[in-house]
Amino acid sequence: MKQTLIQAYRQAPWRTQLQWIGGFLLVLVVVMLMAGVYLYISASATAAGTRIHDLELEREALQIQLADLRTELAYLNSAAVMSKRASDAGYRAASLEDIEYVPVEGFSGRNVVFLAPPPGNEPANSNLIKPAYKQSLWEWFYQGTYRLLETKASRQ
Amino acid sequence: MNPSGIGRLRFIGFALTLVGAMILGQMIRIQNSTQAKELKETFEKTYNQEVRVITPERGNIYDRWGSLLAGNIEVYEIGIAPPEVSNPETIAQDLSAVLGLDYQTVKTLAESFTTEGNDTYRIVADFVPAEKVQQLENKIKEYQKLEKPKKGEAWPSLSGVHWVPHLQRSYPENNLASNVVGFYNYYDRRDGHGFFGLEEQYNSLLAGTKQRIVLPMNPSEIQELPSVPPGSSLISTIDREIQAAMEGVANKALEDTGAESATILVMDPETGEILAMATTPSFNPNEYWTYQDVFPQNSPYNRAIGELYEPGSVFKVLTMAAALDNGTVTPDTPFIDTGAIEVGGIYIYNWDRGAWGPQTMTGCMQHSLNVCLAWVAKELGPTQFYEYLQTFGIGKYTGIDLSGEAVYPLSLPGDPNWYPINLGTNAFGQGVAATPIQMITSIAAMANDGQMMAPHAVKAYIQDGRQYDIRPRLIRQVVKPETARTLTDMLAFSLEEEASSALVPGYRIAGKTGTAEIPGPNGYESSVTNASFVGWGPADDPKFIIYVWLEKPTTSPWGSVVAAPVFSEAAKEVLIHLQIPPDDIRAQLPQP
Repeated sequence: MKQTLIQAYRQAPWRTQLQWIGGFLLVLVVVMLMAGVYLYISASATAAGTRIHDLELEREALQIQLADLRTELAYLNSAAVMSKRASDAGYRAASLEDIEYVPVEGFSGRNVVFLAPPPGNEPANSNLIKPAYKQSLWEWFYQGTYRLLETKASRQ
Repeated sequence: MNPSGIGRLRFIGFALTLVGAMILGQMIRIQNSTQAKELKETFEKTYNQEVRVITPERGNIYDRWGSLLAGNIEVYEIGIAPPEVSNPETIAQDLSAVLGLDYQTVKTLAESFTTEGNDTYRIVADFVPAEKVQQLENKIKEYQKLEKPKKGEAWPSLSGVHWVPHLQRSYPENNLASNVVGFYNYYDRRDGHGFFGLEEQYNSLLAGTKQRIVLPMNPSEIQELPSVPPGSSLISTIDREIQAAMEGVANKALEDTGAESATILVMDPETGEILAMATTPSFNPNEYWTYQDVFPQNSPYNRAIGELYEPGSVFKVLTMAAALDNGTVTPDTPFIDTGAIEVGGIYIYNWDRGAWGPQTMTGCMQHSLNVCLAWVAKELGPTQFYEYLQTFGIGKYTGIDLSGEAVYPLSLPGDPNWYPINLGTNAFGQGVAATPIQMITSIAAMANDGQMMAPHAVKAYIQDGRQYDIRPRLIRQVVKPETARTLTDMLAFSLEEEASSALVPGYRIAGKTGTAEIPGPNGYESSVTNASFVGWGPADDPKFIIYVWLEKPTTSPWGSVVAAPVFSEAAKEVLIHLQIPPDDIRAQLPQP
């Protein structure tokens, strides 16, 4: 009787095998998926890191070039060069006798120079690299879940 | 499911497992291979992290209207990494041709990895201008265009040669205002710092803060480079055009008078801002290594602030200001000049040894009578006289924001080096030493209703993207406003009466000449003098004050002959650049 019952409820052998194969394949697929995601994220982060490094080098080079161009411009506009250019163009320095002053209402002379750069859109100390690029997958998942729970709790 | 279906599934399962196992096995094999271990070791040793010291860009120095006086240019450091070299001959040939390096030295270094296993990167040239690097880049392009060589033939290549840009201090105006700006020893990339002038005074501000960072070289470990703000930039009070004009006038004065040096200071008396500070000699700070040649034996870099001298009769302005302010005399106080006066048992004479008879105080200033001014000092008394001199800041630093200011302590009654005769001689600027900056600072109070302003050479600075203005600072009220105005009138009247060569047509100018004998080891030498002139204008509303000092002029010893015309030339230039209309035009303008 007992044997009969076991036989009645036992899965067919091919079914058991199929379940095992299916289970194994599922685990394999999940592991491969995770590995794929991990590889993809690592590769993206590395590519981003390389790009950031390149951009930082480019920024440094541009800053140097900017300073260089500013100074080069100053050389071209230096007092001696401008004076020579003026005299080559047939001009001469004005004497007191050459100058005629005309009263102009509201004219207050030259304004004080303002050389500070205009304020940028981004605050100076903001982090340019998002935390996601610096986190491991686990940190990202853990912190993301924590933030989600915290947001829900605060809403309640 | 039929048996054939199960068989297929088994086969697929087996195949996938096999493929997975093979991938895993390959991964483990690669990870644990000898090459992987070597690569890991090399990577960790060489590229795992990089320690970088980020030197911020040195701040710029501008004139008051934004013209650059000190900036930075791009230069390159060139080095060779021997392991990366593929053709040492090309490297040696090109670097020797473009940079002028020794062919053999470069070749030995370039092939040192092959010969000695040297894998150390070495810098072969620094401060290489961008044009030279451009030439090297052009050569690389040429080589890339070449046809691939046959097997066994060397392909011309500059691989292994690296160039890294960095900044070098540069002064676009060359000599202009170099005495004010100072210089920076840019060849010392590690410990460079500013010398003299603004470069030294504001060295920390200009230099910014260096940052040492450790950067992981593994690109997956991303780390943001910290933003290192550049050093603060300075906006000086110097007006480049006025400075250029004053340097022109000073150089011409040297030629015309045969003086050893010329100094011209221009200041705004209302604010204490230095508009120009021309002094000789000057040099090109781009070639700062010539410093010792131009300034031998530590001679002052900027005579306007660093050279003490006995100013002579320009000092009478202070003596008269003290006496007028104290009420000891008025412009019309009579004085009979007998040509000599005894002070402390010693006789003092006039510059011409003559007796000028009945005079007023205005006449005394007009004819620059030593005897009269010694009498004024006696009438004032030593206590009052020296109290006033201390109030004027004589014997003290003015505190100008330029490095290298000199001071000579004022001898006071009771000091071991003070004698009663000092009262008489100090009254006309002998036996007392001051720098031109001290003199102009004190006398500028007469052009500013008695308010003595702190002299300064920086108008504003830019830090972290913000501009901060430096407000004018009042040192103290040295005399009453009426005293300052009275003295200005007296000195303007004096110049007009003398028909002085310092006058400027169309403008009323107040001023005073000065001729001082120079003390030597055997007492005063009458053959050589210091000739000075101080003047300000327009007399009714002074906008500038100019101080001229010619050291040991040879064409004439007298300030009235050599320094006064220089003042006039300087004043004309200043009036043009400050756009000050003549007195009659200004009188028509509505008063603010």
